[in-house]
Amino acid sequence: MTILDNQFLMILASGIFAALTASFLGAFIVIKRMALVGDVLSHVALPGIGLALLINIDPIYGAAAFLLVAAFGTWFIEKKTALPPDAIIGTFFTATLALGVLLVPNQELFESMFGNLFAIRFYDAIVIIITSIIIFVLTLILSRRLTLSIAAPDLAKSIGAKPDNSYLGFLLLFALSVALGIKLIGSVLMGALTILPAVSARNLSWSLKSFLSFSVILGVLMTGLGIIIASAFNFPPGPSVILSGILFFIISLFLKKS
Amino acid sequence: MNNNPPILEVRDLSVSFDKQEVLRDISFEVNEGEIMAIIGPNGAGKSVLFRALMNLISYNGEIKWREDAQIGYVPQKLFEKAELPLTVKEFFILKSKNLFFKDKQLIGSIVHELKSVGLKPEILSQQLTNLSRGQFQRVLIAWAILGHPYVLLFDEPTAGIDLAGEDTIYNLLHKLQNERGLTILIISHDLNIVYRYADKVLCLNKERLCFGKPQEALTNEQIRRLYGESAYYHHEHKT
Repeated sequence: MTILDNQFLMILASGIFAALTASFLGAFIVIKRMALVGDVLSHVALPGIGLALLINIDPIYGAAAFLLVAAFGTWFIEKKTALPPDAIIGTFFTATLALGVLLVPNQELFESMFGNLFAIRFYDAIVIIITSIIIFVLTLILSRRLTLSIAAPDLAKSIGAKPDNSYLGFLLLFALSVALGIKLIGSVLMGALTILPAVSARNLSWSLKSFLSFSVILGVLMTGLGIIIASAFNFPPGPSVILSGILFFIISLFLKKS
Repeated sequence: MNNNPPILEVRDLSVSFDKQEVLRDISFEVNEGEIMAIIGPNGAGKSVLFRALMNLISYNGEIKWREDAQIGYVPQKLFEKAELPLTVKEFFILKSKNLFFKDKQLIGSIVHELKSVGLKPEILSQQLTNLSRGQFQRVLIAWAILGHPYVLLFDEPTAGIDLAGEDTIYNLLHKLQNERGLTILIISHDLNIVYRYADKVLCLNKERLCFGKPQEALTNEQIRRLYGESAYYHHEHKT
């Protein structure tokens, strides 16, 4: 595959749009201190992919359905119990990885877990790009209320905001955005794509605006670079995207203002 | 005293968490423009009372705010999440009803409110986590009075603000009471402050132990019942 043919540009574009929303939402995952939940949530996609393949529908919808249910479950358990979400969900969602490995046929397993550049067809690219833009805009609208709900739930309630609802909206958007990146990045590493840009951005930022902007920029850069490397060396895209992310993180450590 | 109906009336308020009663049969009323201090030992349910007054938790009994009563809330602390980089300006913008676009009117009022709590506009670009405790307290008050509420619920921090700083915070609240006719409910840990500034005091230890003018309601006997011997001594020592 030559670097600049149409198919490659299409793959690159869908990767960049998926990264745009994932890294934007990931910024809130990091400030809410639920990086583990965010990471492990992506594993829930795997049994969804398995079932979708069994009944012969596009895996992206199976992943999305499972992720949305898991996101709602996270919200519900956290609301109903005083347990920290990572305690239950960390173990429960990891178990779905085991279930997924049993459900997904062997030949599909590797790419479901680590991504496949060529899994993206024209139709997928359109769905990914349009949905990404919608999620991005919705997150932007939610962001003030969400930030206040994370920073000070009581203050949020005192001005009539509903922190519970913002949090649920956020989790559902996050689940959808993870589903969008699943084909390209794979279920195992999609969680890392949401968190890596945000933690690097935190090292560089001095305000909420700069934090969110850096997170999105780094997410797009690491995904773009990762896809180019994957294509050039014929690597699975998931690992090369995450490793480029680690590279940016190391750079951010040196640029960190003390 | 005016003859208007009280801005807040509470009748037989009880709150339970997991079948354990945290507040029992609390009744009191607050008139417009008064400062009411709420005192009591740790775990007496003071903050719980505030949360009930703001309708954040479920309760039994009656809480009746005057219909137009808008409430501003100053929490004891905000968050310890250093991973949230937030400038003072951004913190204020979070209060905007406008969810996305620039709120020009709000930005104008922010500067005005900062001035009324004694802060300079330059503080807007600073990070929230870099403020001193005193500055931070003032920012929280400015945040609460942004939008001109009639009532301020002030949950005083237990420690951390030095006495000089604390003194001016109370002067500031007193000034707000005078200038804006603000009604202030304050959870206080300092009895001297209560005697000096409060029009009314509510002593709380799960149930109401005293209520009324500080000089009348807050007898030494009452303080001993509320805090035990050591606090009684502490208080005597101070005055």
